[in-house]
Amino acid sequence: MSQKEEIQVDEKLVREIASLARLDLTEEETATFVPQFQDILKYFSILNELDTENVPPAYLSSANKSVTREDEIEESVPTEEFLANAPQAKDDYVVIPRVHIEQ
Amino acid sequence: MSSSRAFTLNNRSAMDLHELSIQDTHELLASREVSAEELTRAYLERIRRLDPQIKSYVTISEELALGQAREADKRFKTGEGLTPLTGIPYSAKDSISTRGVNTTCSSKILENYKPFYDSTAIKKLKSTGAVLLGKTNMDEFGMGSSTENSGFFTTHNPWNFDHVPGGSSGGSAAAVAAGLAPFTLGEDTGGSVRMPASFCGVTGLKTTYGRVSRYGLIPLVSSFDTIGPMARSVYDVALVLEAIAGHDPRDSTSRMESVPRYSEGLKKPENLRGLRIGMPKEYFVEGLDAEVETSLRTAIRQIEGLGAEVAEVSLPHTQYAIPVYYLILFAEASSNLAKYDGVRFGLSERGGDSLMDVYLKTRETGFGPETKRRIMLGTFALSAGYYDAYYLKAQKVRTLIRQDFQSAFQTCDALITPVAPTTAFRIGEKISNPLDMYLSDVHVVAVNLAGIPALTVPCGISNGLPIGMQIIGPHLSEEMLLRIGHMYQSQTDWHTKHPPCWND
Repeated sequence: MSQKEEIQVDEKLVREIASLARLDLTEEETATFVPQFQDILKYFSILNELDTENVPPAYLSSANKSVTREDEIEESVPTEEFLANAPQAKDDYVVIPRVHIEQ
Repeated sequence: MSSSRAFTLNNRSAMDLHELSIQDTHELLASREVSAEELTRAYLERIRRLDPQIKSYVTISEELALGQAREADKRFKTGEGLTPLTGIPYSAKDSISTRGVNTTCSSKILENYKPFYDSTAIKKLKSTGAVLLGKTNMDEFGMGSSTENSGFFTTHNPWNFDHVPGGSSGGSAAAVAAGLAPFTLGEDTGGSVRMPASFCGVTGLKTTYGRVSRYGLIPLVSSFDTIGPMARSVYDVALVLEAIAGHDPRDSTSRMESVPRYSEGLKKPENLRGLRIGMPKEYFVEGLDAEVETSLRTAIRQIEGLGAEVAEVSLPHTQYAIPVYYLILFAEASSNLAKYDGVRFGLSERGGDSLMDVYLKTRETGFGPETKRRIMLGTFALSAGYYDAYYLKAQKVRTLIRQDFQSAFQTCDALITPVAPTTAFRIGEKISNPLDMYLSDVHVVAVNLAGIPALTVPCGISNGLPIGMQIIGPHLSEEMLLRIGHMYQSQTDWHTKHPPCWND
């Protein structure tokens, strides 16, 4: 995909993205997002004005390089406290419904 | 119990406890004329009375606050363990984890979530003996510039209830402005401390990335998020900063450098001779409200009067800061918000058949429209086929923006700019057009891209709404920024002005 092409946003694209993002959008939401995305992405294409061929990406925000610690056992979170937040729990486990397997 | 008490402090009689600075409040408590518990009760009563109109608090932690206040009173009695913040009440933005107290990020997906741990910043304040009054309202997960995107309710600007307090730390700023807390912990990812501080007429600091530990701060953009204090003076902000800053082994991005006694640096009166101030010309263009510009230029002249030299500089890539900021935000936020899946904590919609149903329905119900919009755009920007053109491109332009600041700091010690193009806009004015809302961030986001610190202080009022001035410095230059702000506040009185409800 060329950097100069303008993305055409349609309901199909919005639905694909929603699926990746695990969002169950309504018809209305999907329809509302289409023009909003189009406008926003169009505005962002201003970045194409800049030649960044030889510019490195600014991935690192921190001043630190790799930070490690000694592999020493420390106190961890008591299981009951952790499970107290779980929507459903049994014994020492967090409970979820079965993973649905597509046939 | 009323918050109105007549007493004298340093030969000054103050009617109301909420009017006092942190330092004066501390002296009052140390003199034992007022107990920490009485003080906390006074604030709680004031919150009960005024906050229904302002709606700055999401959760009021009354029991915890009174318990902490009694602990503080023990310290005052024995004289042990006293710090400048002992017994001082504060509020914290609801994205900062507080053990046993709801931490919601103003989102339905975390509406009843109680962390089992304190964030490091909160832990540090606990050790000083400060008192947590409650958690303040925000745009959901920090996504917004007006607090209108809160999943619960909008906060009102104490200066004019029809106007927004700014965002995303709107509740925090409004609480301080209305005298509902002497200080607050806010959080700044793309202007979220500075903008509400400016709109509400209080002093706010965006700290250097890594100066304050992010452990326990519920992340929005891991590359940009910073915790920073707001209060009613630079001196008060310095007192809070020295308590919360510092390296934390639990945050591998936290800086190793030691923490200066920021408040000590402000005690010797100094002029600003030799200080070189830059005014980036790209920040003073069309679209800037005339009165905001006038206030800024007046303030800069006053700083010149203190001995500083002022010159125009250029940050040539300024116009690209918003798309760069938002693209990186969308991408990182979509990644950070993937954890809200109804499995281990938070809202969980279990009505369907399968795990996928839990994900889909929980996130559909739990997230507001702006949050969904940003998650979608981020997912898009990171997806195969679009990653290079959007996310990678943004990170490259980010390098150029950082280089702009590096160049500017070769000829200047600090930069001064407006915080926002206008004063606080009306509730509802920008909410229907997301792009409009994004564009109001033009003066603040570049700072987050570079990870550098910026202080905002009140410098004017227009039609009853405050105007803020932003002072930007290189990494770890908080001492200098606080010095400039403190000197400015010693010559001016904008920071002593209060909204109409102040005397209620």
